[in-house]
Amino acid sequence: MAGANKYISSGRRTSVKAGLCQIIVLMLAVTQALPAGTAGQIRFNRDVRPVLSDRCYVCHGPDVENRQADLRLDLEQDAKQSVIVAGKPDESELVRRILSNDPDVRMPPPGSKLELSPEEQAMLTAWIEQGATWDQHWAFVAPRQPMLPSVLTARWPRNEIDYFVLSNLEERSSTPSSEASRETLIRRISFDLTGLPPSLEQIDNFVTNESPDAWSEQIDRLLSSGHFGERMASVWLDLARYSDTFGYQVDRDRYVWPWRDWVIRAFNSNMPHHEFLRKQIAGDLLPDATDEDILATTFNRLHPQKVEGGSTPEEFRIEYVSDRTQTFATAFLGLTMECCRCHDHKYDPFSQKDYYQLTAFFDKIDEAGLYSYRTQSTPTPTLLMLDEADKRRIRRLRDSVKAAEKKLAETAAAADAEFRRWLAVDRSVEDSTMLPNRVLHMDFEAVPGGGNRHTDGKVGMGIRFSGDDAVGTQIGQFSRNQPFSIALWLNTPDHKERAVVWHHSLGWTDGGSRGYQLLIKDGRLHASLIHFWPGNAISIATADPLPVQEWHHVTVRYDGSSRAAGISILIDAQPVSTEIIRDNLYKEITADKRHLVIGERSRDRGFTNGMADELMVFERQLTPIEVAQLTDGHSLATALTTPHDQLSARQTERLFEYFLSTTHNGSRQQLAALTEARSELSAAVDGVQEIMVMKETDRPVTTHLLRRGAYDARGDVVTADTPAILPKRSADAPANRLGLADWLISPNHPLTARVAVNHYWQVMFGQGLVRTPEDFGSQGRPPTHPRLLDWLALDFIQHDWDVKRLLKQIAMSATYRQTSTMSEDHARRDPNNDWLGRFPSYRLPAEMLRDNALAVSGLLVDRMGGPPAKPYEVEVSFKPADRDSGPGLYRRSVYTYWKRTGPAPVMMVLDAVKRDVCRVNRERTASPLEAFVLMNGPQFVEASRVLAEQLLAEHHTPQQALPDLFRLLTSRPATDREHSVLTGLLAEQLDYFGQDAERTKKYLSVGDHTADTEPDPASLAALSAVANALLSYDECLIKR
Amino acid sequence: MNNSSFPDHPNRRRWLQTFGAGLGSFALADLINRPTADAAATSSLSSSAVRHIPRARRIIWLFQSGGPSQLDLFDHKPLLKQRHGTQLPAEVRKGQRLTAMSGNQSSLPLAGSPFRFEPHGDSGNVMSELLPRTAQIADELCIVRSMQTEAINHGPGVTFMQTGSQFPGRPSMGAWLDYGLGSENEELPSFVVMVTKGKGGQPLLSRLWGSGFLPSRHQGVRFRSGGDPVLYLGNPGGISAGSKRSMLNALQQLHEIKLQTSADPLIETRIAQHELAFRMQQSIPEATDVSSEPDHIFELYGEQARNPGSYAANCLLARRLAERGVRFIQLYHPGWDQHSGLRKGVTRQCTETDQASAALVADLKQRGLLDDTLVVWGGEFGRTNYCQGKLTATSFGRDHHPRSYSVWMAGGGVRPGTTYGVTDPWGYNVAEQGVHIHDLHATILHLMGIDHERLTFRYQGRRFRLTDVHGNVINGLLA
Repeated sequence: MAGANKYISSGRRTSVKAGLCQIIVLMLAVTQALPAGTAGQIRFNRDVRPVLSDRCYVCHGPDVENRQADLRLDLEQDAKQSVIVAGKPDESELVRRILSNDPDVRMPPPGSKLELSPEEQAMLTAWIEQGATWDQHWAFVAPRQPMLPSVLTARWPRNEIDYFVLSNLEERSSTPSSEASRETLIRRISFDLTGLPPSLEQIDNFVTNESPDAWSEQIDRLLSSGHFGERMASVWLDLARYSDTFGYQVDRDRYVWPWRDWVIRAFNSNMPHHEFLRKQIAGDLLPDATDEDILATTFNRLHPQKVEGGSTPEEFRIEYVSDRTQTFATAFLGLTMECCRCHDHKYDPFSQKDYYQLTAFFDKIDEAGLYSYRTQSTPTPTLLMLDEADKRRIRRLRDSVKAAEKKLAETAAAADAEFRRWLAVDRSVEDSTMLPNRVLHMDFEAVPGGGNRHTDGKVGMGIRFSGDDAVGTQIGQFSRNQPFSIALWLNTPDHKERAVVWHHSLGWTDGGSRGYQLLIKDGRLHASLIHFWPGNAISIATADPLPVQEWHHVTVRYDGSSRAAGISILIDAQPVSTEIIRDNLYKEITADKRHLVIGERSRDRGFTNGMADELMVFERQLTPIEVAQLTDGHSLATALTTPHDQLSARQTERLFEYFLSTTHNGSRQQLAALTEARSELSAAVDGVQEIMVMKETDRPVTTHLLRRGAYDARGDVVTADTPAILPKRSADAPANRLGLADWLISPNHPLTARVAVNHYWQVMFGQGLVRTPEDFGSQGRPPTHPRLLDWLALDFIQHDWDVKRLLKQIAMSATYRQTSTMSEDHARRDPNNDWLGRFPSYRLPAEMLRDNALAVSGLLVDRMGGPPAKPYEVEVSFKPADRDSGPGLYRRSVYTYWKRTGPAPVMMVLDAVKRDVCRVNRERTASPLEAFVLMNGPQFVEASRVLAEQLLAEHHTPQQALPDLFRLLTSRPATDREHSVLTGLLAEQLDYFGQDAERTKKYLSVGDHTADTEPDPASLAALSAVANALLSYDECLIKR
Repeated sequence: MNNSSFPDHPNRRRWLQTFGAGLGSFALADLINRPTADAAATSSLSSSAVRHIPRARRIIWLFQSGGPSQLDLFDHKPLLKQRHGTQLPAEVRKGQRLTAMSGNQSSLPLAGSPFRFEPHGDSGNVMSELLPRTAQIADELCIVRSMQTEAINHGPGVTFMQTGSQFPGRPSMGAWLDYGLGSENEELPSFVVMVTKGKGGQPLLSRLWGSGFLPSRHQGVRFRSGGDPVLYLGNPGGISAGSKRSMLNALQQLHEIKLQTSADPLIETRIAQHELAFRMQQSIPEATDVSSEPDHIFELYGEQARNPGSYAANCLLARRLAERGVRFIQLYHPGWDQHSGLRKGVTRQCTETDQASAALVADLKQRGLLDDTLVVWGGEFGRTNYCQGKLTATSFGRDHHPRSYSVWMAGGGVRPGTTYGVTDPWGYNVAEQGVHIHDLHATILHLMGIDHERLTFRYQGRRFRLTDVHGNVINGLLA
């Protein structure tokens, strides 16, 4: 350890003893503050690592680049060989450094702007004194089955969970809280499992049910409700950064809600959690993957996507891959891998290479960096959303196409006799320079306009392109079923990296390249037909570059088959060797209202200084002899005028092709029939909605380490692999997302099950056992109950990752059933409820607040799934959208239209996250804006009135309705004092509305809902106001 | 077992006083003691970030969205006029990336500004004829001609300027300041956003005033023009302030009853929240009601100031909010994206903003507010010295340019009557004294009394800063 010695010798050793004296008192204080029963023992993972990590690892941690003095404090061996002498603080350089007042010696150095508090200094010193025991970071070691701890109050625990919680409380000489009232419990569990309040009937049933199974039955009832899936999904959507729009700046709508419904179905069918993850990560790669399995992978396409003109596509493609990687790490592993995008992790043992190896699982799809501004194409790869009837129909149409193709071949094969007859007898000498089906001929003899120049051409004059000026035509809106040929003389001045020769499209990246095009890329000719580049296209490229500064005749032919094999390129009439670049065209290519354009494309590189001559377009796949005719001016003419018995075999063969294509009625009719069959097929597919999914590309994708995380700073090539510190993937697992998913869900994985049970614990308790669910690393907070977390994780795995079982297990515990009332002892010693000695209370999430109001008023439209709903609030969003009328106003909030650049404003006020990136936790605040929303927002005002209306229909007077009103909104009866407050308020409001019919009318006209009954307006308005006030009452909006 | 804790009412407040300090993570402190709440709630680092006496107490940021052309406003380049129509030399561009809009053009012809430039005031600060009113406050301005960013497109560019990162997810500057400094007026939001209404141009997004990973109470509150300035601020139809008061009184009584059986800070929070909301129902309309402003003020800002939602009206509102202690007032004026038709477009933009921007500075000054109010004018990037598309005698456009652009600041401790930074004679690269966005942020935080390296928030295990791991305070900008 030469470096470490250098480190030690660099400072003076004077003040250690003095510093130690000062610290003794604090050491005592620190060890006394530890839980009773731990005998003042400092625990490395709980006490030491968080401090070392936070204050020291930036310079003395895993990051090689920034490591100072070659010292690592994240590795026991390194630390103990250099700056820590176990048991001897006064000989430990670390102690000398942290206690020194000399700015040159002191650690952390003043310039770091990091400090150790006196308590932390004392704790570290005491830890070394106690022997400096080390431990691996808990989260990177697979959980081991813990023993159930013994407890003193043996009658309290109801299941295993409680032993862990109670023993911890007892260690601290504290006690759990009593069981909450039945009203509180049914309200709590109803919101936790379904996101909705209990009905009065449900409350009564539970409160009066004396069966020992009453609670268990309630849980089962709620778990089997369809609303369970909606509730669980509303949490999962934050994590999946679900949005109904693409995000970034333009933020157009996109079609992804079928994935949201998949999530709801998955929860309702109690899909095992590991399957749930596996399908979302790699559903497309499962053996015999169904459409449902593939749909699950939309998860990895939900990140924001870019369309802004002028953006660099690769920059954003890399951003998408990074987002998938980081979401995977945060959501499933609880790791902050994004730290390693630019450099090795500062705190956790992950290298930058680990990060990019992980990205290599997520970049093997045929995607573009930008979606299409000028078309509505779904960014590839996609899944066609077909129902069974569609699938049958399309299968039938495919069969028809195949049959027509077969028949065309048979017709040609049987045409020999007719051909012979035509050769011998019917062959008329036509004008062979005028090939049939020609729709355009440009000879460029006239002086071109714009910046293009006139030049000596191949035949007479030609054109020299500026690269910035297009030559337009009036033809070329071909469908993908239309055979066509485009021929011209071409002379490229130099080896073009990229140049557009001709195209029919709405733009390059701006239009997803939809259309067809001939480009020169890296000197080679690329001919393509495209719906959305790159995943929905056919494209071929010549093997060799086009020679420069020479005229060559270039013909691109297409047969209407939507297959790459159906495109061919002939240079100087010779077929040339080509490579298939893409072969997956399954939607239309026509770019509406555009024509064929030559030499330029907006925001693309034009054919600068390239020359062209004699451009011709045919609505037919030319035969080779015709192309030869275009090139040499005589091949076809000669063959046509040669007596049939003097034709060479080759001439005969080529004339046969010519005959079939231009003359033979049977073939031409059959081709028309084939085109018709193809048109029917494409018409059936073109209208089908697509959804973005994951699909491995068969083309090789090379993944690079990116220096500083910059898309254009490529470093070494890396291959897909999981982080080195975590268990290895099994040797026979494929190096793709399926292999990754199987690694993730392997039972010995230290993180997956812990992260999962922590997630569901958070669903039930509002906060996880790990309070930093986004960070299980060394900077995160250690679990409040490490052994409980491990026990739950292992139990979860042993029970096949059964989510409903886990939730029931939690709900059945005495821990969950505690009251939320804070005892003085807890308030003093455990204000953050780290000991779980009471149920944590917190304000209901945005979705529940709104759904509650809709549910109690009976307005809630109980329909599952479907396109996003647009309630009142979307019209006052920063990006207003037209709101729905009717049912769309009253759907559950999980269905509310989510627009990233202007999310539903009520939900934002109520602490929803924006869903730009994966979030596994919501902040909870209590801003005054929340009060405006609840008391003035039309959704809540209207719901209050409809609730009042329902109650007035049942009760004769508003006064009589008060008890039910209070109970509906709090799930418990009002006390006398509370009742008198409500009575007083009602009287004031009756008085207020009784004075003025106009204000009553106004108040009663908020929202679209019209009453079925005709209650007294003042009574209705007054009771509505009481209901509205109660919506802001603690027990209505706080989960207790 | 103890499940009903402190029934006796008089002790409740004492109990809260005793234990309230330990309840840092509860929202109670947020409302009752907001200015210091975050320091207690998150870490000592936040409070220790406030290191020195601030020069500015508040910021009005006049964001000119789209990328105003510095070459036609502040950065006079006669060479471009001389070389008008000739190609951008490769040695000037040095292979830097261009946007995909003009990056594939065969020709990149230089375009001189058609506008006249002159020095103004004692300082001799130079600006073009498009800014006659701004010229009148030239001696108040600190013009930075050497701003640099990394983004070449609007979304990333604006996000960078407002959050210190090109990519979504970080808190905006106003949120950072609210987190670090808290509010000076509890009855108004401390971070207010106003967007000029009815402007097309590049779309803005609410993330620009979002709180990122900071608690969401730090997010900017957008004041709407016309109707409620704040979402659902006004009572529903038919409900008067008195009627609302009676609802709130009942609610408070219920909460008091509840408090007697369970002393929970959440309930205190709830009571305080509703009281504050009720007061804001008065204070916000009062702050946004300009009807009491005298005519000469409307003359100063321009008649458009009578048109709610206009830039001028927003500037006037900005002054009223500054007077009332709002910490961060963010205006957005879109439409500066002159890819083509620059001459007409930029003239229109200046007509809309010149007078009111200058009036705001002058008005703050005459009220003695300019000393501790920092006004910032500028956009997300500049524009190219070459023409995007065809350069013709009558029309031209400029593409996005991140390498150099101009902003100005006034008041709040910046050096008045200065021009800082020099670009090369082509107006392409910074020649001297470059100011990166991170530097601008560091400097602005410094003016607010904050050490930008100490204003941190721990999220996902890392201490995040507005300036990431970059940024230097530019002393040359300080008075």
